[in-house]
Amino acid sequence: MFGFGRFKRLALVITLVLLASLSFGCAPQETLEAPTEQPVAEAPTAEAPATEAPATEAPTAEAPATEAPTAEAPATEAPATEAPAAEPAEETSVTILIWDNPSEFHGYNVGSGAEEAMGELVMLSLSEVDPDGNIYPELATEIPTAENGGVVEDEETGEVTVTWHLRDDVYWADGEQVTVDDVIFTWDAMQAAEVWSMSADATKSVEKVDDFTMVVTYYYPNPEYKIHFGGEDFFVFAEHYCNAEEGFYEWNCSRQPLSSGPYILEEWVPDDHLTFVRNENYYEEGKPYIDKVIVRIVPEESVKRAMMDRGEADLHYWPAENNAVSYQEVGNGTKWAASPTERWIMKLFPNTKARGDEETPHPFLADKRVRHALRMAIDVDSIINDIFLGFGKPVWTEFFRPPYNSCGIPRPEYDLEGAKALLKEAGWEDTDGDGVNECHGCLYAEEGDLMTMEFAIYAEYGETLELAQQFIAEEWASIGLQTDLQIIEGAVLWALPEEGGIELSGNFEMDMWDNGYGGYDPTAYLWDYYYYAEETPWNLANWTGEEAEKVAALIDELYTTDEDYCQEVCCEIAGILEEELPAIELFSTFEQFGLSERLQGVRPSAFDIATWNVADWTVTE
Amino acid sequence: MGQYIVRRLLQAIPMLLIVSIFLFVLVNLAPGGPLAQYARHKRLSAERVEALRRQFGLDKPLPVQYIVWLVGNDWMPIDTDGNGITDSYGTRKGVLRGDFGFSYENREPVLEQIMDRLPNTIYLMGITLIIVAIVAIPVGILSAVKQYSVFDITVTALSFMGQAIPEFWLGLILILVFYVSLDNPFTGGSFLPGGGMYTIGAEFSLVDRIEHLILPVTMGVVGWVAWWSRFLRSSMLDVKHQDYIRTARAKGQSERKVLYKHALKNALIPLITIVGIDFPYVFTGAVVTEQMFSWPGMGRLYYNSATSRDYPMLMGILIIGSGVIMLSNLAADIVYAYLDPRVRYQ
Repeated sequence: MFGFGRFKRLALVITLVLLASLSFGCAPQETLEAPTEQPVAEAPTAEAPATEAPATEAPTAEAPATEAPTAEAPATEAPATEAPAAEPAEETSVTILIWDNPSEFHGYNVGSGAEEAMGELVMLSLSEVDPDGNIYPELATEIPTAENGGVVEDEETGEVTVTWHLRDDVYWADGEQVTVDDVIFTWDAMQAAEVWSMSADATKSVEKVDDFTMVVTYYYPNPEYKIHFGGEDFFVFAEHYCNAEEGFYEWNCSRQPLSSGPYILEEWVPDDHLTFVRNENYYEEGKPYIDKVIVRIVPEESVKRAMMDRGEADLHYWPAENNAVSYQEVGNGTKWAASPTERWIMKLFPNTKARGDEETPHPFLADKRVRHALRMAIDVDSIINDIFLGFGKPVWTEFFRPPYNSCGIPRPEYDLEGAKALLKEAGWEDTDGDGVNECHGCLYAEEGDLMTMEFAIYAEYGETLELAQQFIAEEWASIGLQTDLQIIEGAVLWALPEEGGIELSGNFEMDMWDNGYGGYDPTAYLWDYYYYAEETPWNLANWTGEEAEKVAALIDELYTTDEDYCQEVCCEIAGILEEELPAIELFSTFEQFGLSERLQGVRPSAFDIATWNVADWTVTE
Repeated sequence: MGQYIVRRLLQAIPMLLIVSIFLFVLVNLAPGGPLAQYARHKRLSAERVEALRRQFGLDKPLPVQYIVWLVGNDWMPIDTDGNGITDSYGTRKGVLRGDFGFSYENREPVLEQIMDRLPNTIYLMGITLIIVAIVAIPVGILSAVKQYSVFDITVTALSFMGQAIPEFWLGLILILVFYVSLDNPFTGGSFLPGGGMYTIGAEFSLVDRIEHLILPVTMGVVGWVAWWSRFLRSSMLDVKHQDYIRTARAKGQSERKVLYKHALKNALIPLITIVGIDFPYVFTGAVVTEQMFSWPGMGRLYYNSATSRDYPMLMGILIIGSGVIMLSNLAADIVYAYLDPRVRYQ
């Protein structure tokens, strides 16, 4: 036996040790230090640039967030820099809810969307795209075009030079002026880190003319030259602040950024929140209108919704469909906002090759009649309405957005009987009545082989995609295709082949996942998915062959600044893709948010991230 | 005892080494990889992704990767730019010299990020454990003393419920009731905060800190109290029927003295085993609780690292967790000897 006094002493010691843990909670939180030094140099007043400018007019308090953006294109308007009518007496703040800790302030490393959203709060780029797809200058004074002399094509060499002029009234938070040195420094750092982009391939040189002028020379016309130094990804970093030796991916200045944008990072408690305060010397006079932006990292969707209901948050980033429905209901203190055009396309990827074997055709997916039959057997409207609760639009081509508008390709019909007939024509029929088709004269399988395949989705999307997968599998079962459903982590699905990756090794039969392109030019996106050539045989659709080569040749044609010609070529590509179906587009979804009623001016965009116009946001109490 | 502790600590070193090998192999053999994000978004060319593999050392055989993780690479030439040619000596010092590497996700040092989150987890889980002890021990004792009473039956029923309730469901219900539905009668706001460690932007307030603790702590406490109290009840019932208890009663000692001086002390000894098992959670965190209540702790860091296959971060968390488990077991053994004079370590 031992004495009770001993136990009491031990209990006391343990209690004291555990109580000490309280001190962790009560101590001030460790935060990442952010540069908050204010500019010392006197910032010149913002003069209106003479040419193109964004539609950045301060939204009126009454403007509903869901209102479609006005048709007035910003092409020739001067930026509206007038302050809101009434100066807020008290400090205003908004709280944004995001799902994960951003890893840094640019999206080239992780790119979950959170990084880009944080980047827009503190950083600027040369140009941006508004929700209507119009490109407007930000750090630049105008968008270079052939008409204004900013774009010159050398007919002999085919080289194109683009001249950018920068504003001279933009300052870093430490008072240094933003110049082309910073732009070139950022570009060089990205090139040293081999960050890939279509523009990177096309660029011959980027040269400084003076502090506010630079010339970019392309080997050939670069269709996305207008957002070469802008869009949702590119931000200009400060040369004097970043340590180039650290390297673009490693440098601290993308985690503790020096601000040139509307806000300054004040505090970052990892996995908890980031606090941004108004940049008093932001170049647009009077902006931003909101003093403080708090970004809270809340992983649980139901908690985010509850916080919105409680009025403790103002913007719910990418709400789940069921929550989006509740945001649409009027009178609960919240509202719903969506981009005027769709952003993401949900697609099926049928592998035309046998699993992991680039030489052997897939027993039935290699036959385009089967692919057409599978598409015909999917009731896309039911998926959109019953599973995605109406948050989607049927899509049957990559070119669904303006200016292409599906290129006149008619929407395919949902027709189970037609699908069965097409499968029969392709040699797949259920003759023994077990519900699964067998090969009877099919092109690529042995007689009697069963029509079965694996059908995978990625786990992170959540329940709605799982339901859609099950729904599609049931419809395919009704035409005699048996599927083995799989839900795979993204880290496995897109991993490198040597790490057991499925997509890149072609070790799949049918996958379903979503993607889409921001910006205005689909060339890079098409290249990723469909470009097939001897020297670059792999593409995300795992598509090869004669028709793929034709499409590759057409994609090569897209390297031009002639937008009308691009449109023509895109529609030609659309025709081939419609015929061959290397991917089956199902529906598109919007960029959407839940908003508090007090937050005004948020304009979701299919071309940029939610915070693209954060300087224009206002709050009404 | 001193010799015993030293011996156990020395034994822990090869044990930790063996555990680290197992963990390293398991983490790396799991399908998937940290570069998947680049493949989907194609922000980097295939060549650059391959170069990154080389830069991260992922192209090396697993034993070499392990050695680099353990002892660093400042003694061997490496391929710093990923072009396939070794060009200079590495800079990593390895875990044995306190360098846990950098996160693939954000290229920041692993240890730095762990140290950011560790205090938050110790804060949450430490308090949870204190409350579990405060509630479970008296409840377990009373249940045993009043066996088959209404109190005992009620506690038994609640314990089963506590063990059966899925943690995430309980968290959601707590949020629904105390954050969404109920109002604070004084402020008009929510009755309790639904997440986070404190009110952002507000002055420090102990009340605010405690309010933010109530729901996540409750979520953790329910299951643990159920488990600990059932365990103590059984242990107490076993002890109650021992000969020495009968002897104590025969000597004319009061029932209270018999129970609390003789029975309880001995019944508590097995609980030390449970505490030894549960104590590492104070350092490794609770994934579900931290996810549900947006708590910036180790559990969330672990979850995020696992989903993104951030191997260095995963290994850092796992190896620290393993070390804490070993120390916790050692501490439990030491406490046995301290509490029970019959236990002697040679």
